[in-house]
Amino acid sequence: MDTLKRRHITHSFNNIDGPSYERIPLQDDEDLYTEKIKAQRNYRFHHKYISWTIKNRHIVIPVILTLLSFWTRFRDIARSGNVIWDEAHFGKFGSFYLKNEFYFDVHPPLGKMLVGLSGWLSGYDGSFGFESGKEYPESINYSGMRLFNAAWGALIIPMTFGTARQLGMSLIASTLAATMVLCDTAYLCISRFILLDSMLLFFTCSSLYCLSGLCKVRHSPFSKHWWFWLTMTGISLGCVSSVKWVGLFAVALVGFSTVEELWDLFGDIKLPKLVYFGHWIARIMGLIAIPISIYMASFVAHFKVLSKSGPGDDQMNSLFQARLEGNKLAESPLEIAYGSTVTIKNHALGGGLLHSHVQKYPEGSKQQQITCYHHKDSNNEWFFSKPYPQNQMIPSLDKEEEENERKNENEESDKEKVKQNQQQMNNSIDEPVEYIGDGQEFRLIHVATKRKLHSHTIPAPVTVEQFEVSGYGGENATDEKDNWRIEIVDDISDKHAPKDRVRSLSTRFRIRHSVLGCLLAAHNTQLPQWGFKQIEIVCDRDAKENNANTWWNIEEHRNEKLPSAPKDARRSRFLKDFMYINAAMWRLNNALIPDPDKDDRLTSTPTQWPLVSVGLRMCGWGDDNVKYFLMGNPMVWWSSFISLWVFIITAGVYNVQRRRQFCELSQSQWDKFISVGKTLFLGWFLHYIPFFIMGRVMYLHHYFPALYFSILMVPFLLDHFTTHSTPKRRKIVFTIAFTLVILTFIYFSPIAFGMTGPADSYRGRQWFKSWKLTDEVI
Amino acid sequence: MLRNRHEQHYHTLNTTSSHQKEVYYYDSEDSKKNVKSTIISYQTLCHITITVVGFFVSFFKIWYPAEVVFDEVHFGKFASYYLNRTFYFDVHPPLGKMMFAAMGYLIGYSGHYDFGEIGGSYIEHKVPYVGLRALPASLNVCNVALMYAIMKQSGYSTLACVVSSCMYLFDNALVAQHRLILLDSSLVFYMLLTAYTYIRFFKLRNKPFSVSWWSWLVAAGASMAMTLSVKMVGLFTVGSIGVAATVDIWNLLDIRHGLSLKEFGKHFLARVVGFVLVPVCVYLFWFYIHFAILNQSGPGDLFMSPQFQATLENSPVSLLSIDIHYYDNITLFHPTTSVYLHSHKHKYPRRYENGRIGSGGQQVVGVHDPDDNSYWCVKPTKDISKDKRTPVHHGDIIQLEHVETGKHLLTHNVASPLTSTNMEFTVVPLEERYNETLFKIQLDDHANGNVWKTHMKSVKLVNIAGSVGMWTFKDKTLPLEWGFGLQEINGKKDFIRDKTTYWRAMDVKGVNAKEINLKKKEEKKEKPMSFWKKFLELQLRTISRNSGLNTPHPYKSRPISWPIMQRGISYWRNEVTREQIYMTGNIFGWQLGLVAVLCFGTVVIIQTLARQRDTHAIQTVAIRQRLFRSAGFFWLLWAFHYLPFFVMGRSLYLHHYLPAAACCYLLVGALFQFACIDGINTPISGRMMTPSTTVNHRPFTSMKACPSYWSYLIAFTILSLQFAVFVFLAPITYGSPGLTAEQASQRKLMKSWDLAFA
Repeated sequence: MDTLKRRHITHSFNNIDGPSYERIPLQDDEDLYTEKIKAQRNYRFHHKYISWTIKNRHIVIPVILTLLSFWTRFRDIARSGNVIWDEAHFGKFGSFYLKNEFYFDVHPPLGKMLVGLSGWLSGYDGSFGFESGKEYPESINYSGMRLFNAAWGALIIPMTFGTARQLGMSLIASTLAATMVLCDTAYLCISRFILLDSMLLFFTCSSLYCLSGLCKVRHSPFSKHWWFWLTMTGISLGCVSSVKWVGLFAVALVGFSTVEELWDLFGDIKLPKLVYFGHWIARIMGLIAIPISIYMASFVAHFKVLSKSGPGDDQMNSLFQARLEGNKLAESPLEIAYGSTVTIKNHALGGGLLHSHVQKYPEGSKQQQITCYHHKDSNNEWFFSKPYPQNQMIPSLDKEEEENERKNENEESDKEKVKQNQQQMNNSIDEPVEYIGDGQEFRLIHVATKRKLHSHTIPAPVTVEQFEVSGYGGENATDEKDNWRIEIVDDISDKHAPKDRVRSLSTRFRIRHSVLGCLLAAHNTQLPQWGFKQIEIVCDRDAKENNANTWWNIEEHRNEKLPSAPKDARRSRFLKDFMYINAAMWRLNNALIPDPDKDDRLTSTPTQWPLVSVGLRMCGWGDDNVKYFLMGNPMVWWSSFISLWVFIITAGVYNVQRRRQFCELSQSQWDKFISVGKTLFLGWFLHYIPFFIMGRVMYLHHYFPALYFSILMVPFLLDHFTTHSTPKRRKIVFTIAFTLVILTFIYFSPIAFGMTGPADSYRGRQWFKSWKLTDEVI
Repeated sequence: MLRNRHEQHYHTLNTTSSHQKEVYYYDSEDSKKNVKSTIISYQTLCHITITVVGFFVSFFKIWYPAEVVFDEVHFGKFASYYLNRTFYFDVHPPLGKMMFAAMGYLIGYSGHYDFGEIGGSYIEHKVPYVGLRALPASLNVCNVALMYAIMKQSGYSTLACVVSSCMYLFDNALVAQHRLILLDSSLVFYMLLTAYTYIRFFKLRNKPFSVSWWSWLVAAGASMAMTLSVKMVGLFTVGSIGVAATVDIWNLLDIRHGLSLKEFGKHFLARVVGFVLVPVCVYLFWFYIHFAILNQSGPGDLFMSPQFQATLENSPVSLLSIDIHYYDNITLFHPTTSVYLHSHKHKYPRRYENGRIGSGGQQVVGVHDPDDNSYWCVKPTKDISKDKRTPVHHGDIIQLEHVETGKHLLTHNVASPLTSTNMEFTVVPLEERYNETLFKIQLDDHANGNVWKTHMKSVKLVNIAGSVGMWTFKDKTLPLEWGFGLQEINGKKDFIRDKTTYWRAMDVKGVNAKEINLKKKEEKKEKPMSFWKKFLELQLRTISRNSGLNTPHPYKSRPISWPIMQRGISYWRNEVTREQIYMTGNIFGWQLGLVAVLCFGTVVIIQTLARQRDTHAIQTVAIRQRLFRSAGFFWLLWAFHYLPFFVMGRSLYLHHYLPAAACCYLLVGALFQFACIDGINTPISGRMMTPSTTVNHRPFTSMKACPSYWSYLIAFTILSLQFAVFVFLAPITYGSPGLTAEQASQRKLMKSWDLAFA
């Protein structure tokens, strides 16, 4: 058995006998063949340009491909002057960077910052709203922004060529790889608009490119080249994850490859342990530290650029909001007293505000619902009142007045009215200000409905093990189960602050029920439709004091009797904000679940993707619109999906053959076959399979990164199977492949370049009904 | 060579010798006999003793409590259904429940009690429950014996066998669960039987294609299928055997194993027969019996399709089903949300609260109770006279007239009130907007009769002009102010693959379907559904139902909490006598099992690392192979019966861990042997017939396990701890005697256990 054991590392993308691809045995045939041809051609054509081209074909081919790719990507890019597809989102996000307003989105900031950069470069000031389908005003140079994005998409093609070369494919196979990427209608279409996908694809491709480079130099570790590729891989990974989280799958791919390499090195008994340790350190630095720093740096820039208050405020923690320019929170009074009107924020990562509304629980107590909600509105306001049995109600704003106040919220005069009201309210409390500190009891009265925050032994609606929290009583009804007690955890900005006062924004506290002893908590469970899918609030019987779900802080605070806080009373820390925004992104990402009752024709499921059984209409489908249809080139997509299976079957057959010891492949051929094939297959697998267990809404373009890996598999396998065939047969095989890919591309290219006229005139291209290229007729 | 054998003998007798020796020799037959003759009585004695103790532990006070406990509610009821032959629907395959029914049949239970609620008295209702409970209890006794046998067959020393089987025997959860009318006892029984038969099969690997080899192969396949026929958890057993068999076949493929491709093919085919064909047949067989017994309409009818229901005797569906003819007035029912299509004089608002414009047309809504306003007249678009009584066919284009208000049903390009992506339904006067009032009839299963029938046929009503299907959704109730909280009806664009767009015609006004059908019945009988169709339908519905089981239950738990025995399940309690059954594992045994699992994992990791550095963690080949083959198999069983629960969406309970717990005890025994006893018993498998083959390079090793005093001491300590915890928790396992508050709180071995009366 030990005879089989390999003591030297044999598998790499190249053969051991040389790092440069010119000398790969697989190419021997071809080189011989081209030598022959060269001789013949030299004989046939004496023209010096042709012979020069043939001589420099390693450079000429990629240059031509690059030119073609720029031409296809840039061609007639402004054909549609409307906001197409998700330009509505990403164009808008780009605008926020130009306006420096804080917004919130599920994706990390790098890609959107680049969109912002493209806007800045093309002289856009951020004033346009990017409403879906709307026409761009004259003043906006949208084609400039699109060109910027398309450039990323165009650069993929030379990179594909380079990757294929580095993976040890022959010249013609590499050309086929680049051509397939070039001629894919889906890649073409998605690259031509203001979206993140072209950047995501670019960085995914660059990750694989750098990985293949790194593997090529694996036999000269710690050399200059090795360090270069290692760093570049790290940078690519950092960028790809900072554009979209899908990039983490690329990280996983590189991770697998790295672990495998370290495992092989571990088996090299002759390797000094110190050197082995060095391998670890180098990879931790290059592949973990660098990507993380890039990812964090993108957030640093994000926070730095977006310094003004904007639409994304409510998703962030209270301290962060206070820091933003133009946000009112920082000016509110510092210390909470009885009679304060506040909003209360859950302190868990991505927590919301304590909320109530007139709707009742359908089960349980049937009292008013208490939920946790991220959006800011007046239903989040609570009034600190003395505990039962002392009576201190909200010195009531008259109902009518209150309604008036709501109606005319925007008008200046009413603001004064509110102020007057509040003054009244505070004047009516004759007692001196009494601050609230650790251990003090209080009632929380919901300002809009006058219900008191209440809990009882009735099981909560979703988490039945816990107690329900409800809004109890009308104006006057109240009992001792309305009483809660405050327990101060600490103060974020000042660790040694005394616990006798609750300070808004910075003090973290728990709210314990006086009678039941349970803690007010918001776990991340959603209420059903009757609760508008808001977060459930329970009274936690287990009373886990160290759980951030039971921690709260005051966000808004109004109390006319108290002075505004001093300017520098609160600080916010980057690391905290960073964690917070990532948790909030995660939560929002998970909340993007398909609505079962919404009929959305744009979404699709992972099973529909690889076989091109679905396309996506990117804009309105009227006869006057320029219509873009996001759909792959069937030849490219089908062949790449088939190639994956061919690889699996071939690998299986080779494995059995090797087990029976009659494999026709030599050890080095086998090593090359399996190491390249495994990387490509794993890349596809990691970028595709996770979508099956994801709950969120999915669109066709989620498949694009996975597709890239499977596309490379096609020329790789063609190369592999034609190694030993005659040059003629090889030529025929590749010619057929090129022809099919290019012809179908030309046939389908209108869907990506923009279809004009009625969609019905493209009915012939709708090979399958499920494509929905045209409207169906029963 | 002779001398060697003597030395071997010497070792067997002298158990005190603490070092083991590997002895190479090439004649095993005699020595086997020798070994047997000295050991046989001692081992068998242990086996029998433990089984007898198992009998007492399992049957102790089996008559108590004489009330329905926990899930006996379900499984007792299902047994009754078999005895009454009424069709029911359940997520579990039929075998386990049929065993109870068979037991009930044998002891003369007539199936009259419905096991209505926990705490229902058996004595009052005259149920021979002791007999029913005797079935799982006796299977538990078998389980104890099987545990011992598995260990013995795997070549462990008597001491290790005793450890494993006694650990199993004195486990509170296993005892509590396996003496009640529940499926778990038979599940564990078949699972252990599968392991046992597979081990027997594997041991015969050197005598392939012999009669006994074939028998054990088929037996393993069959018991695997039996496990699956009890509960779907059996799939995990199938998975673990599948992995073991695949590894085995991969090794056989190795050319150094010396098999020609033809021989290998034979091996492969044999396994396909044993592990695929046989199990499939056995599994199908039990369903065949299931359908054969349950031939009458019962509580499970409504879970099944109308075609299926029609195969049951006295099924209301086949009694009420009748062809629909043009000009019939019918009601239309939406099975997914149980509402009837309805229209009334009230109008949609012109303008909604959010400022959107509505049509202001007459409302079309879904109601739960049909009335006169729910009748619709089916009108032809072709020239068909009223008197001809022409039936409506699949693919016909019809109009639906609302009988009370005399208007045609229509859908048009106006957004529905709540679902703005879908089209609004309303009605219009007869002569108006003809094109938008046309609906195409699309029957489900139209290959099997294309006439539209009430009850039997599901139908999609597809609007021609808008190309949408009529649809409604549960959560979409119109606002009270103008919609009276009724359900919105809308037109769904993506209706083609959506099963929830099916509607069903319920009754035809003025026609007594029952009478007609009773007359008809004498003329001709319904075409029966084939077994395959029935099986497939039941299987698919079971799977979808199973994954939908996630209603909140106070005692459901996450898999991560099981091995540390974080929280039990309260099965039954009696407030007066302060007695309770609280299903909880033997906390010592379970946590020891977890330690064993982790230890084995560590050993595997160390071995893998060592292998990569070209050495071995365990130097002795025989011991290493035994550990990774046998303990590895147990570990595999544990992992397969535990880890998949983590990705399962349905509600999970502590008792789902019981099969894994049993596997854990096997692993505990195996690791006990590895850690505390010097040497192993080898060989345990028969040798190759031809010693000349190149297979198995390593010389043939013979060895005896030599337990030292220390190993006895350790085994004794483990078992007494297990026994002590068992006895301490026995009152809440057996449900008697009652506990005072103090006693009860003493038994809260973990803070998170929520015992009653504590």
